[in-house]
Amino acid sequence: MATAGTSNMQAKLVLLGDMGAGKSSLVLRFVKGQFQEFQESTIGAAFFSQTVAVNDVTVKFEIWDTAGQERYHSLAPMYYRGAAAAIIVFDITNNDSFVRAKKWVQELQRQGNENLVMALAGNKLDLASKRKVESEEAQSYAEENGLFYLETSAKSAQNVNELFYEIAKKLPKAQPIQSSGGMVLNDSPMERTAKSSCCA
Amino acid sequence: MSTSESNEAQTTISNPEDMSLSYEPLFDATEEDNGPCYLPSYSSEKVEVDSLSSTSEGVSSDGSDALSEEGVLEDRQFSEKEDSEISGDKGNSELQESFDELISGDLHSEEGETAQQRVEGVDRSILIETSSISDKYPETSEIQVESAAENGNAEVHNSYQGHESGRGGVNAIEGLATAIGGNGVLKPDIGQNEDRLKDNCVQGKQHQYEDDNSTAWRKHKKHFFIFSHAGKPIYSRYGDEHKLAGFTATLQAIMSFVNNSGDSIKYIRSGHHQVVFMVKGPIYLVSISSTDEPLRALRRQLDLLHGQLLLILTKSLEKCFLKNAKFDLGSLLGGTQNVFSSLIHSFSWNFASFLCSYTCLRLPHTARQAVGAALQDIADKDILFALVLSDSKVTNIVGADKASLHPTDIFLLSNFVSSSESLRTTESFLPVCLPKYNAMAFLYAYIYYLDKDTCLILITKNADAFFHLKDCKSKVESFLTESHVLHDISNSVARGGLRIDDLPGGDVLYGSLPVSRVMGDAKESHSISSIKQRTGVGGAAGLWHFIYRSAYLNQYIASEFLSPLETPQAQKRLFRAYQSLYVSIHGAPTGPHQMKYRRDENFVLLAWSTADFEFLAAFDPLAEKSSAITVCNRICQWVRDLENELFFLGANPFNW
Repeated sequence: MATAGTSNMQAKLVLLGDMGAGKSSLVLRFVKGQFQEFQESTIGAAFFSQTVAVNDVTVKFEIWDTAGQERYHSLAPMYYRGAAAAIIVFDITNNDSFVRAKKWVQELQRQGNENLVMALAGNKLDLASKRKVESEEAQSYAEENGLFYLETSAKSAQNVNELFYEIAKKLPKAQPIQSSGGMVLNDSPMERTAKSSCCA
Repeated sequence: MSTSESNEAQTTISNPEDMSLSYEPLFDATEEDNGPCYLPSYSSEKVEVDSLSSTSEGVSSDGSDALSEEGVLEDRQFSEKEDSEISGDKGNSELQESFDELISGDLHSEEGETAQQRVEGVDRSILIETSSISDKYPETSEIQVESAAENGNAEVHNSYQGHESGRGGVNAIEGLATAIGGNGVLKPDIGQNEDRLKDNCVQGKQHQYEDDNSTAWRKHKKHFFIFSHAGKPIYSRYGDEHKLAGFTATLQAIMSFVNNSGDSIKYIRSGHHQVVFMVKGPIYLVSISSTDEPLRALRRQLDLLHGQLLLILTKSLEKCFLKNAKFDLGSLLGGTQNVFSSLIHSFSWNFASFLCSYTCLRLPHTARQAVGAALQDIADKDILFALVLSDSKVTNIVGADKASLHPTDIFLLSNFVSSSESLRTTESFLPVCLPKYNAMAFLYAYIYYLDKDTCLILITKNADAFFHLKDCKSKVESFLTESHVLHDISNSVARGGLRIDDLPGGDVLYGSLPVSRVMGDAKESHSISSIKQRTGVGGAAGLWHFIYRSAYLNQYIASEFLSPLETPQAQKRLFRAYQSLYVSIHGAPTGPHQMKYRRDENFVLLAWSTADFEFLAAFDPLAEKSSAITVCNRICQWVRDLENELFFLGANPFNW
């Protein structure tokens, strides 16, 4: 583990989930401490970086906040390829977004990256009164699939930092040599993604 | 509008450029647009029941109506000829703005007709028109169908014409069907179908009494619809697409009815409403408007709308329809409402939408060069285009070898970026398609706002280039920050563009002291009495606004809106007037007109087109022609003097 002895490591983290689940809001809360009631739709993917200190290790997250729209779905591999961690976000007041989240989990599992740290985030905890997805259901799904589950609220900031800290803590164990490289440049041809991109 | 001055005179003036200038008699706009009058025709349908009082039933009388309108027009033309020389103008095959091209001598109506026919032969278009004449407002309905077949369309048209004058008693639909089919055989059932469909369509666009819930929707002046060839809504400017499925299905039915005959429907006019149809593969686009914009302008707007769709999805979206004709494209456009609505909004303020050019930020030459140097510095094989946009205007563009960005792509990209608020948050990396560069493939854009106005866009073919581009961004950003160029840019944004009151050499002052007017231009002293009553608004000689477009650079510069154009309404009115003027000088079959002078109750408008540049200016309605021309010459000189500052001179010339 290249970063074990040193105090720094980089980790690529990707957020996936249905549109409107609150991916951008989570990231903005985590990175900038901001929240906007009417967050504009992300276009393509937005890049952020944020550093957290866990015990004596500093983890610099390179965060890809992807767009939830269907047309960007086929581009997702471009962003999650080589990722050290993924947060799959759904909206606890929207059952469809939970269904979508499960599909993302399956897709990531198909990639066969055993070291990938996956978190399932049930967002919009501030709207718990309108909850459609029960905690137990999500929790048991997460356990079955080896994810850890946290319910968050970007609006109230509840559990947001905890989510990222939890990932950071799990990272050094899961993340072998590559982490200091920051990113993996992958040679797979872009045509593949381009071709299918609008016919998802 | 009917009261607008109809000030017509033909003059040839030797100005330094040796251009001939003519007054154009501006028909009042209503008449101009509603009274295309060359072709007598059948009532093609009862598009406008109230106005077509006499037509639907007795078509023979309709025919004579139309003929009589032609007679009226001839009279009108001849009466105008006393003052000005007229020749046929192609326009949108409408005679409306045909009073220029003064060089070409007198117009006889036969010449006009010949020109008309020639034009239509070229366009392969058929035009059916219905008119009923009330004395002042000819209300017309008109349908244009473009034959898709290569051959014989001119003949179709001719035969139709002959046909029409020969036969009187055919009903509307027969007329349409005949024209489309190019023969007299008619299938009545189809005709009825058509009739019904048209009626539906028309009810949709005219706010009639029915359906209180949608009254507001019907009152919008300009609708845009995108839908699939199966009639599935993709985008609608107003209203919920899903609820408009019936409406788009109706539009689709009209279009496919015409398509079945191997033709495509282009255009329907009914009173003030214009319905423009456009087919782009499996994508159908329709605009329904009552804004009296020229057909060519509306078609260009639909083109841009389609371009914006491609920018988001590429042309390979068509494959989705090959696989599944009922494919729902709307679901792929989630979150792009803003992009389209901002684009449509720009059709009434952004001159680039009809000039097919882009505009640059006014910036000191050295600062622009510095930006260019910074971009050049990072240019490598991974970067196809690098551009800096400030306030949606181009600051600099660097392209890879031989690659140049088409102004339309710049326009669409700039609209896409500026209307996507989320891009302002942080660095973004996203697929875009530049339809004029390559409509089939995605490129990847790295987008980052250097400050609140200025946006760096790096475009690559390499989907994995993000981190490389991020490094490039850091270089550009630190260079521009350290050299204070970024600061210069934001100052320039704050300062704005050219102001007409900065026009140097004020020898032809308008509305100021009479003394200076006399000194400035003695020729005009006779009219001082009428002019000096006006309060001093605008610049020299009553100049309000101008646009200068460099043909070689494909860039334009527009002056800032100053008094009395502060209100959005005034700006929009000017925009539309420019648009119609610009379209009219480019609509002539003999090539662009060189000069056009138009006066109505709102403006004096002057257009001047040469091989090197095009110039549009708006003056106070009481402005003097000769002093206006003097001022125009001075502006052109002024712009040329400031060329370094106003234009981006290093651009690759465009080869499209």
